[in-house]
Amino acid sequence: MERYVDSEGAGLLSAKVVATLPWVEKYRPKSLDEIINQEEVVASLKNILKTKAVPHMLFAGPPGVGKTATAHAFARDLFGPNYIEDGHFLEINASDERGIQTIREKVKMFARQIPMGGLGFKILLLDESDQLTDDAQHAFRRVMEQYSTTCRFILAANYSNRIIEPIQSRCAFFRFKPLTKNHIIQHLKWIAGEEGLSIDDAALEVIYDFSEGDMRRAINILQASAAMSKKIDEKLVYQVMGYVSRGEVRQILEKAIAGDFKGARDDVRRLLYVQGLTGSDIISAIYRELFYLNLPEEEKLELLDLLGEVDYRISEGATEEVQLMAFLARLAAKARRGKK
Amino acid sequence: MTQLWVEKYRPKRVAEVVGNKQSVQQFISWMRSWETGRPQKKAALLYGPAGVGKTSLVLAYGNEHGYDVVEVNASDWRDQEHMKSIVGSSSQQLTLQGTAKRIILVDEVDGIAGREDAGGLSALRRIIDETRVPIVMVANNPWDQRLATIRDRSLLIEFKRLSKTDIISRLREICRREGLECDEQVLRALAERAEGDLRSAINDLQAIAQGKKKVTVKDLEALGSRNRVKQIFEALRIIFNAKSLRSARAALEGLEVDLDTVYTWILDNAPLQIQRLDELADAMEVLARADLYLARMSREQKWRLMRYAVPLMTGGVALSRKTKPKGFVKFSFPDKIRFMQKTREERELLQSIARKVAAQLHLSSHKAMKYMVPFLRVIASSSTRNAEALAEYLSLSPKEVEYLAGKPLEAVAKASRGRRGGRSPSRG
Ligand SMILES: Nc1ncnc2c1ncn2[C@@H]1O[C@H](COP(=O)(O)OP(=O)(O)OP(=O)(O)O)[C@@H](O)[C@H]1O
Ligand SMILES: Nc1ncnc2c1ncn2[C@@H]1O[C@H](COP(=O)(O)OP(=O)(O)OP(=O)(O)O)[C@@H](O)[C@H]1O
Ligand SMILES: [Mg+2]
Repeated sequence: MERYVDSEGAGLLSAKVVATLPWVEKYRPKSLDEIINQEEVVASLKNILKTKAVPHMLFAGPPGVGKTATAHAFARDLFGPNYIEDGHFLEINASDERGIQTIREKVKMFARQIPMGGLGFKILLLDESDQLTDDAQHAFRRVMEQYSTTCRFILAANYSNRIIEPIQSRCAFFRFKPLTKNHIIQHLKWIAGEEGLSIDDAALEVIYDFSEGDMRRAINILQASAAMSKKIDEKLVYQVMGYVSRGEVRQILEKAIAGDFKGARDDVRRLLYVQGLTGSDIISAIYRELFYLNLPEEEKLELLDLLGEVDYRISEGATEEVQLMAFLARLAAKARRGKK
Repeated sequence: MTQLWVEKYRPKRVAEVVGNKQSVQQFISWMRSWETGRPQKKAALLYGPAGVGKTSLVLAYGNEHGYDVVEVNASDWRDQEHMKSIVGSSSQQLTLQGTAKRIILVDEVDGIAGREDAGGLSALRRIIDETRVPIVMVANNPWDQRLATIRDRSLLIEFKRLSKTDIISRLREICRREGLECDEQVLRALAERAEGDLRSAINDLQAIAQGKKKVTVKDLEALGSRNRVKQIFEALRIIFNAKSLRSARAALEGLEVDLDTVYTWILDNAPLQIQRLDELADAMEVLARADLYLARMSREQKWRLMRYAVPLMTGGVALSRKTKPKGFVKFSFPDKIRFMQKTREERELLQSIARKVAAQLHLSSHKAMKYMVPFLRVIASSSTRNAEALAEYLSLSPKEVEYLAGKPLEAVAKASRGRRGGRSPSRG
């Protein structure tokens, strides 16, 4: 195994730390060859590697499917293993610095410096760039042109529609897709082998179901399960996922059904704002519970339809809390009617 | 402006003091006890909210029964020296007839300052013990620790906020005397705004009526808001009771509060104001629809979408509320805001953890919180070894690891020894 150096390159990590460092990091692909199941993207990028004519690129796709990892792997393949230390590559996360200042200062500063050696240009990864404010995006479009001789940009985003047209038109577009069941399960099996775990097929299936094609999530579930036991079965995975959403979604539904809307609402707020779950985590958990609720099937179907609507609205940017409340209030009303 | 109506119409006789009938009666009996012999308590402490007639009652009584009222209030120096020389001496002096027709009124006793008025309260206490004339004190908050010894020596008389009926009756009387014609609806609105404070209602009335012969609902618009919270309460009242989309939407006009805040207030008051679950579900759904429009609006910079959100979140909610709760349900401060305040420390801790995770794992702290932290919790709570390794890798503080693990590390150790076998899984 390679030696692990922390991000500042400050020193070696102890063996204990390496053993438990998050596996998404431990098994992060180093090279394009290790990127799984994004065949079209990888093929195009390899082509670019050959010609070394690197365009500005937009990587779009759902969470945890390899966008950030691919950008790093590409740069590493292009510039060599010291691609960061030698100043060829910089990653800026737009979500943590969404404003125009980031563009005017950090991005510009890096982009305009003429690189030493290498290919005559550098690469800047603007990760989670759909989080940039509109103003920042408009500031960015000129930067893309002005400094394109010295710097090429890779923008990664979950929602390409949140990237303004003028930027999209300056980029080659790469679409990342959710990973297939087969690919996720193969990868999990490989990691399980590296880690000396025994895991049965049923457990792998369940992990895939929970992952919904998100490799990061799949690996996280595997690691959390392994933390409980080296022998992983279906039951353990459910147990772990129960901890992850803490079985609380179930309680929330029960409160709503009992007519305690405010109680259910307060619990949802806890999950969202204190525990930091996503709306889609909660929706997925509700989805699974829905089929088992003690309600007439017709009502469940209506609720399912509404849940789908809530899911869709959240993907359109609506407020998770509010949309979930609308669902819970409807559930409470239906349960009440059922009792009468 | 000519004379302030609050002064012009300060009650001259006790009968003019509206509301708080029992407290008024208590005060009269206490004064009678002075007049007929020795009172049980030599001081009375009238307390309650502003503008309900506490001071007025004392002045009216004095005026009606020929007392000389010696008043000291917060505008006077009230340290030991001043207290003795003004209050102390007048509490002892007798008139030529041998009886003193005098009331000493110490207004705003809760405002006697600790430092600037040093010794004032203890001087007052001694004066009460020795006084030969009634001492009446007035306070908004009588429960201040520093007033304890004074409370013991006083008859406590509580005043409550005035009812709307009482406020309206007094306003109507003032209109009559001013020769002013005033819509009943205006009086009601003024009484509503006043929240039991007649002084502010009279001030409002004067502000909109001065120099006019007739006051109508339109004149109400001239009134600014007394403060934001009051203003938003008023808007909520209109919104939840609106009969048309137009009037509900109008409630937001001129409101100096941003739309998000108004939204939160409506969102959290809905479950209180709408008690039937089916109606509540309808209301939450229109609120969710409004939210969607607002999201699209800011996402796509389509500002005109606002015009759909506002009627939904106001009139839509009103129309969903077909059954009104029995009795009046107060509008309240949003639970959400309180919740966020209460959980602040915990959320900050979580933020700090998320930032550390983000620094290591190539994602934003936002994503770290949502996608990594739930799993790191499970890992950290599984064994001390895992918890410590994570702490080292992420440079977590002891408090942060314990938070992630959900329990002190000793407890993690115990639990991981006792595990194996496992609890029953949650259903899938
Ligand atoms: N296609 C893939 N091939 C191999 N590993 C992957 C792939 N996708 C994700 N992973 C694993 O998941 C981790 C997270 O992936 P990555 O950070 O690239 O996701 P992302 O697509 O950038 O997600 P986000 O949109 O949330 O930023 C990687 O470190 C890697 O371990
Ligand atoms: N109960 C009442 N009846 C008639 N007029 C009243 C009454 N309460 C208040 N007012 C009117 O409001 C003015 C202020 O009232 P007053 O000074 O008695 O209030 P207060 O209760 O002593 O308030 P604070 O605690 O602010 O001193 C009076 O001049 C009078 O015009
Ligand atoms: Mg990423």
